[in-house]
Amino acid sequence: MQRSISYFSTLCLSLLLGLTACQIEENPTVTPLKKVGFQNDVIKRTLGPNVVGLDLEFAFAMALPSEEGKLVSAEVEASIGGASGTYLEHRSYYTNGSGDDIGVVVGQPSSSEGPITRVNFTADTSAATLRYYYKIPEAARGQQVSFKFISTSSTGEKITYEMGPYTIAKMDMKLDMTISDSKAAYLSIADMAVYTAEEAAQRPDKIDLVYLYRSIPNITFNHALVSPVAEAQYRPDVLIPSGLTNSTRISKVWNLRDFHLARLQFGIYIDDLDFEVLNLSEAPNYAINLRSEAGAWVETADGKYRAYVYINAVNNSAKTARISIKRYTLQ
Amino acid sequence: MKRYSKILIALMAALCVWGCTPEFPIDEDGLLITDRAECFVSNFELLGTDFQTVRTKNAVIDTVAQTIQVDVFFGTDLRNVYPQFSLVTDAKLDPKIVGKVDFSDLTNPKTYTVVSGNRKVRKTYTVFITVQKP
Repeated sequence: MQRSISYFSTLCLSLLLGLTACQIEENPTVTPLKKVGFQNDVIKRTLGPNVVGLDLEFAFAMALPSEEGKLVSAEVEASIGGASGTYLEHRSYYTNGSGDDIGVVVGQPSSSEGPITRVNFTADTSAATLRYYYKIPEAARGQQVSFKFISTSSTGEKITYEMGPYTIAKMDMKLDMTISDSKAAYLSIADMAVYTAEEAAQRPDKIDLVYLYRSIPNITFNHALVSPVAEAQYRPDVLIPSGLTNSTRISKVWNLRDFHLARLQFGIYIDDLDFEVLNLSEAPNYAINLRSEAGAWVETADGKYRAYVYINAVNNSAKTARISIKRYTLQ
Repeated sequence: MKRYSKILIALMAALCVWGCTPEFPIDEDGLLITDRAECFVSNFELLGTDFQTVRTKNAVIDTVAQTIQVDVFFGTDLRNVYPQFSLVTDAKLDPKIVGKVDFSDLTNPKTYTVVSGNRKVRKTYTVFITVQKP
């Protein structure tokens, strides 16, 4: 009996303690994450690998209490100066009720001095969000780039926000090359270009694949990329200029619609690592029946390049295809 | 009271042991050996490196002759294809398919053995491949 009373008392006390602990404080205080006053913040808006020639986009927000002054300038310092086309927006954006970004001019168009891009404010404002577009330069290929976002107020106070480092991919990219049966049909991965038979004859060692379209009864041939020395049955009636001897390995892929190449809604990106781990040692030297939105992994005969050839579109009547390429240099 | 508790615990332990005793034994692959003696292939698929079918039409499966006839597209890279078998319930395949298979030697068709659920019936199927010709 005595034990039961003891148990009952402990249970009641525990419940009471639980209820007390859960009681909501009547006057909660919010502790700001940062100091009150001049503040800034940055988010990176672009996704996927950072490829030379593409933009890195950031949204750079800054604000201070109006009684503490106004914004005077905003600048971004990149560890490697951006290519031509790098700029800091002189408009501050907000999103309206319809979800559209509306720009309000707050300063003069940006100017760049070496790795520093600056906007001087002309509007009397104490808050702004500017977009920064960093055009990835050739000098940054395979390097790491970091950024310092600096805001200055009318009192001379400067605050800095650092972003990065971001690794810039080693791979190259070439978009929208039209390849045409019997005309510009000779694809060079080394040059990332398509050539005619005459042009191919002048650079035979650089021609990796030949494009053709055939509509042959009883079989499904359609659009094809074959190496110049593929079996004759896979390149029917194709003119191969003398000297074209590359046996390029090629492996068909479906459902790999790289965002950079396809520019469709699929958030899939091919990165340097994909090329590094790719194994085409067993792949054939031809790929037939290629379709729109399909692709093919390619490794050149000299082992110097690996590439992904994406088929953006095909045209059966014109016997053409529009292709885009990502290429990685191995040696 | 204490004595009853001990009996109760012993009973529960016995129940657990009895409940966990497998109804069917397990083979070397960790699969149940059941009572089923059926032994056949119900469907066959062949995928290329792009994981799209390379068949031009449905495979013809003869469960009496134990053959599978597959017609594939012209230009199919038969050195790098992924076969897929659908088998009757509880059966398994020998050898196991663990990745790409080379079917390029058309003169020596590949064979696969279906083993029934009771592991007592074995039937060897031969896969004959025909490539489209112009």
